[in-house]
Amino acid sequence: MINITKEEKIKYIEGKGISLITTVPDKLELERNKGLEYYKDILYQCGKCGTCRTAYQEKGWSRICPSGEFGNFEAYYLGGKNLLSWGLNSERLKWTHNLAEIFYSCTMCLACMQQCQIPEIHHYAGEWLMAMREEAVQEGFGPMPEQIKYTEHIMEQHNPYMEEHKNRTNWITSNIHQIQDAKLAYFVGCTASYREKTIAIATAELLNSLQVDFRILKDEFCCGSPMYMTGQTEKARKIAETNITNLKNEGIEKIITSCAGCYRTLKETYPMKFGIEHEIEIIHLPEFLLQKEEKGELEFKNSVEMKITYHDPCHIGRHMGLYEAPREILKKIPGIILKEMDRNRHNAWCCGSGGGVRSAFKELSNFAGNERIQEAKKTNADAIVSSCPFCLNQFKSNIENNEIKSYDLAELVRKAL
Amino acid sequence: MNNGEVIEELRKIVGDKYVSDQPEIQFLYHYDFITAEPEGKCDFVIMPEKAIEVQEIVKIANKYRIPVVPWVSGINFGSIATPRKGGMVVDLRRMNRVIEVNEDDMYVIVEGGITWADLKGYLDLNHPNFRAGITFSPPGTGVVPSCLCYGMFDLGMLGGTGAEFTNGLEVVLPTGELIRTGSCSLTGYWYGRQPLPDLTGLFIGWEGNTGIVTKAAIKLWPRLPYRKDFLPFAITMEEGVPMMLKLSKTGLGIVDLVMINMGWAQSLQGFDEKSVAKDPVALGLPDFLGLITTQAYTEEQHKAQCDAIKTICREHNVEPLTAERQLANFPEQMRGVIGHIFPATGGENPIQFWGCWNFSRGGGGEWIGCYNSTRNIVKYYNLSREICLKYGKAPQYYCRIMFGGHYCVTRTNVNFNKNDQEDIEKTRVILKEIHDAVQKLDGVIMYKPPKWIVQYYKEKTLPTTRELIGKIKKFLDPNNIMNPGQGIGDD
Repeated sequence: MINITKEEKIKYIEGKGISLITTVPDKLELERNKGLEYYKDILYQCGKCGTCRTAYQEKGWSRICPSGEFGNFEAYYLGGKNLLSWGLNSERLKWTHNLAEIFYSCTMCLACMQQCQIPEIHHYAGEWLMAMREEAVQEGFGPMPEQIKYTEHIMEQHNPYMEEHKNRTNWITSNIHQIQDAKLAYFVGCTASYREKTIAIATAELLNSLQVDFRILKDEFCCGSPMYMTGQTEKARKIAETNITNLKNEGIEKIITSCAGCYRTLKETYPMKFGIEHEIEIIHLPEFLLQKEEKGELEFKNSVEMKITYHDPCHIGRHMGLYEAPREILKKIPGIILKEMDRNRHNAWCCGSGGGVRSAFKELSNFAGNERIQEAKKTNADAIVSSCPFCLNQFKSNIENNEIKSYDLAELVRKAL
Repeated sequence: MNNGEVIEELRKIVGDKYVSDQPEIQFLYHYDFITAEPEGKCDFVIMPEKAIEVQEIVKIANKYRIPVVPWVSGINFGSIATPRKGGMVVDLRRMNRVIEVNEDDMYVIVEGGITWADLKGYLDLNHPNFRAGITFSPPGTGVVPSCLCYGMFDLGMLGGTGAEFTNGLEVVLPTGELIRTGSCSLTGYWYGRQPLPDLTGLFIGWEGNTGIVTKAAIKLWPRLPYRKDFLPFAITMEEGVPMMLKLSKTGLGIVDLVMINMGWAQSLQGFDEKSVAKDPVALGLPDFLGLITTQAYTEEQHKAQCDAIKTICREHNVEPLTAERQLANFPEQMRGVIGHIFPATGGENPIQFWGCWNFSRGGGGEWIGCYNSTRNIVKYYNLSREICLKYGKAPQYYCRIMFGGHYCVTRTNVNFNKNDQEDIEKTRVILKEIHDAVQKLDGVIMYKPPKWIVQYYKEKTLPTTRELIGKIKKFLDPNNIMNPGQGIGDD
């Protein structure tokens, strides 16, 4: 019989078997938000094995990548993009419009990197996917024409929807009560301001109902996410600087937002990418509601009899790790029965609207949206609920014949108060 | 030939979206991005959805004498799906459906481009009492190529290689005709290759030289209620191997019988280079890790089998610890990796890359992997171990006893940094040395061999057999369009 207890890192203990201690680092500690050159020694570790294409969950394997499933060719999956990045970095490839299109035909949902078991790719792939977009812009191959168009409009009118800035707050109804010198701002975002106004109204009303002192800035501008996500870092940075100056001038100390994209941008991109240490507390609506509930300050008076399924927005889910707060709130609403889709949380299928895809690659966007709607229908839910105006807008645009209803979490909470 | 003309014709078959000659799309088909084999060249790629489209594609390839490379994931340790003479890659991944499951005769009919993830997902959801074998490769790799190239599963002791799991095929011949082999060639059932002339063999082991498989029937196996995985260790390979050989000849419900050395175990655990013990034996670490999987229908049967396995292990002075118990001692972040293999730890899945190969700090790997006589297991290991150590590489060895102990697979992995040309060159030298050394043992035949090894075998093969191989290839593929530059049938 063997009897070994030697060597510091690997131990074998009689009767217990092998015991391996501290031998595998979880990952190399890399910095985030760097350029492609910084990640060059990681890219080629990818063997294009295809693990990034599927997710394994208790109920089996499922497809995970909208870009790959729509584009079909290897290039559209993360493995392909890793190696194309490597090809570019090692001068095997050059920037072309086709290469840029491959990288822009992606919602940046980052479901792929959740699947990869190579630690550095698992943790950092999103960084070089963004770095490739930045480089595409620098080399004159990005963004896509539709994205250029909305960018120009953002620079002039502070929203990507071709709307006039003066109409941004038109959604505010007379019953909404704001406190003019409140330190807390409700950052509405462009989509809820111009397209999904019911979210803005519901959020403002529920804040009133909870007796929260808040205000909506007259000069709320686009957060910059549509530019940042399409590699237009410098333009997005300028917007960020303007926004933070405005917020500081207004004396804002805390922001509640009902928009997943704004939340990610204000909380993560501003300080981490742009180096703007704004010290303003940023909180997403479900987090805020959960805090209120935990303090006993949120009481649901009405029952909302509905079977729902929850769609995880990429920007608060995979990008920021917020999976449970929205579910916790939804489950507390009397009458709500929450049924999960097969792909949920970090394995959720993207709605197809992010990363500039909805404007530039409509067909891909609709493909992804429809797949999610079909998945939601399979749960026999009455409604698909999300916590992101962009996701909601995508579902509304793709749901046919009222086959399933769609709501934002704020709307259901408002009904229950 | 004008590429533009060909592309236009191909687009008419599958639609614009599924043909590409863009350099950025082709790039991913030039290489396999794993091995130390040289890169190839893909001129264009096409993704058919149906067998009839494959037929039309092949007809066009014949018309213009364009090489055709059938492709599913393009990764294997011989780079056999790397286009060596240009031409078109036929990427079959749109043909990824399960056509039928016959629970009575226990087989599944799948399309040629189905991946392990697709198949496992389908079976788990729709036929949970049955399973196909699980390969030690990532979920995105192809089921049918694995069977056609003698890949093996975690049921190797039960049924042999993937080739032996294959009941029948639907194939587009190099000249465009659609044929079937096995019972499905004259009945509606795909239960086997008996009692007809075994034409399935015309497509197995040929590395895509003789046609494109569009459908295959793969054997399924019942998922029995009782299963135990033992993971015993011994100090040396010499001590552990006799125990495994004894177990291979006892029945005892053993479905899988694998042995690895500490080097491969380190690889499975994803150590970084700093933490890899180059020569674990010198540290006194156990160098033999066995995996014994047994399954049974009743509790009594299961207990009797497990007791007998334990007795045999102890007769060989090896403690038969279970995988469950061994893995409980592993650091948490590694359990998932190893746990892929064992149902006891949530596994029985295709192994994701991190778990099947240590790509952590270099991304490259290639093996000399051979079918072999069980007499050679220890000799093969010692030869390859010595060579690896000579070049400063941790020896990584794996052996699986197959089909009730009738033969085995032995292979030695070499990892390298694929961004380091010097390391790539060194790896090529090591692989060549291992190959030359193990060939001195009679009975060693490499599977999924790269071209340089194919050439060696062609020269070694009995001349009359070699001539027959040539005649068959010429008969089936008169224009030599199928995966030229690869495989036993290539000139």
